[in-house]
Amino acid sequence: MPTITFIQPGGTRQSVDAQIGLSIMEAAQRNAIEGIVAECGGSMACATCHAIFDDETIAKIGLSEGDEDEMLDFAATPREPASRLTCQVEVTDALDGAEIMIPETQI
Amino acid sequence: MNRSNDPLPDTPACPMSRAGAAFAPFAHEGMYAFFADIRQNVPIFHSPEIDYWVVTRRRDILPVLRDAERFSAEIATQPVCPWPGEVTEFLKSREFTNEAVQVACDPPRHTRIRKIAARFLNVRQFSFYEDDLRALVRGYLDRMAGQEEVDLMDAIFYEFPAQVVFLLLGETDFDPRTIKKWGDLRLNMIWGKPAADELKEAARDLADFWDYTVQLVHDRQENPGTDYPSFLLEKRGGDDDTLTMNEVCSLVFGLLLAGHETTTNAAGNLFLELMRHRDQWDKVLGDPSLIPNAVEEGLRYASSVVAWRRVAKTEVEVAGKLLPAGSRLLLALGSANHDEDRFDNPGEFDITRQNPRDHISFGNGLHACLGAPLARLELRILLEELTARFPRMELVPDQEISWTPTVSFRGPGSLRVRLNA
Repeated sequence: MPTITFIQPGGTRQSVDAQIGLSIMEAAQRNAIEGIVAECGGSMACATCHAIFDDETIAKIGLSEGDEDEMLDFAATPREPASRLTCQVEVTDALDGAEIMIPETQI
Repeated sequence: MNRSNDPLPDTPACPMSRAGAAFAPFAHEGMYAFFADIRQNVPIFHSPEIDYWVVTRRRDILPVLRDAERFSAEIATQPVCPWPGEVTEFLKSREFTNEAVQVACDPPRHTRIRKIAARFLNVRQFSFYEDDLRALVRGYLDRMAGQEEVDLMDAIFYEFPAQVVFLLLGETDFDPRTIKKWGDLRLNMIWGKPAADELKEAARDLADFWDYTVQLVHDRQENPGTDYPSFLLEKRGGDDDTLTMNEVCSLVFGLLLAGHETTTNAAGNLFLELMRHRDQWDKVLGDPSLIPNAVEEGLRYASSVVAWRRVAKTEVEVAGKLLPAGSRLLLALGSANHDEDRFDNPGEFDITRQNPRDHISFGNGLHACLGAPLARLELRILLEELTARFPRMELVPDQEISWTPTVSFRGPGSLRVRLNA
């Protein structure tokens, strides 16, 4: 299973082994990672599972596009180029070693 | 309307049947105690009084809210007690053409419309209103300041959220008396058991408010501003495939329905619990950084929306019960928010609780409340301003709290406090 590290706004790091096939949002919630709220349950109807990916990972998985990209404009913490909605990113082997920053606030 | 056939047979001795017989869908006193008693053993039961299947646990409710394929939202705003033909005839004669565009609308239509509405109704956009909202609240508090005793519902909580909605509509300083007139019977009409004369009056008010909405949208066509109706008209760009004019009017109409009493009640519930649990109020005074979490705990502990509806589009299994297509479901959000499975000591009001935000008072899935960040903002500002201005505020002792009898909405009718006890 790929190992993913979540970094809280205060700098706390938590590494989890994420199950392939889940979304990053689901993996975060299963591992009780704080700050991935996902109010709409992954239906891309809110922007409360926003997170910022490290450059190397984002190069592998690609930037946000389409509806996801539009939703990110409304996130509570202003987006960055490497921002994604974690409900839209699937856990794959390419995510091994990913570092994902949790934004200051989601709501 | 599809109705389920006779409920699946259960023997009278079975806990499910007992729950169905004991459940009082329109009563709020004792509601949490009722669900606490049965939740362990009765994840679902049929309520003969309203002919709905009531789902009691968080883990069974979430999949329903998240499954728009098999569960339709079209029932969400239909009257719980069907209206007589004359009411629908009257509304028709008044050209009341409000249609389902959000909360009672399924994909793909819902998806098209939500995408547009969400570009205005979102946390970033709402944050631009914070100073205006705070100024509104301070205005109310200034007017309260000279009094010894006030009813918080009447003095601020009823009007403030409506004024906020009108602010979003570009209407500043809207006449509060009209707010009261339009709001009074509206929820009762859909979610309650209105008497015939109440229903007539409510229908008239509803039609008046619709006329106001249509006029407002036409005004914004002539003179666009930076408000929600102007935004919708701009996005529409004259294209009915994007949004029809009737959809624009329905969205504007829906904003007041969605954003008024739900927040009024949430404020009433939050302050009632903080007053009842003095140690929690004192914690807020001691550390105002707890306010956002206190708001969440208020939403969890005493949600202003205690139940929401879905109808099965096909045969479904819910909480282990096989239900035919057309079965109507009442999802007990209030019960889910007190589910032992998710919350430690769920019956305890604790503003330092670690996970109050796991409540589902704003729903979940593609219909998750678009106004949630606005409600949170309003509640946060209310709590910040009221604790700062009236730290010694306390409940007038021995007052009886009355609840409007509806299946979905819960909030105190009045909340009398001494401001400087």
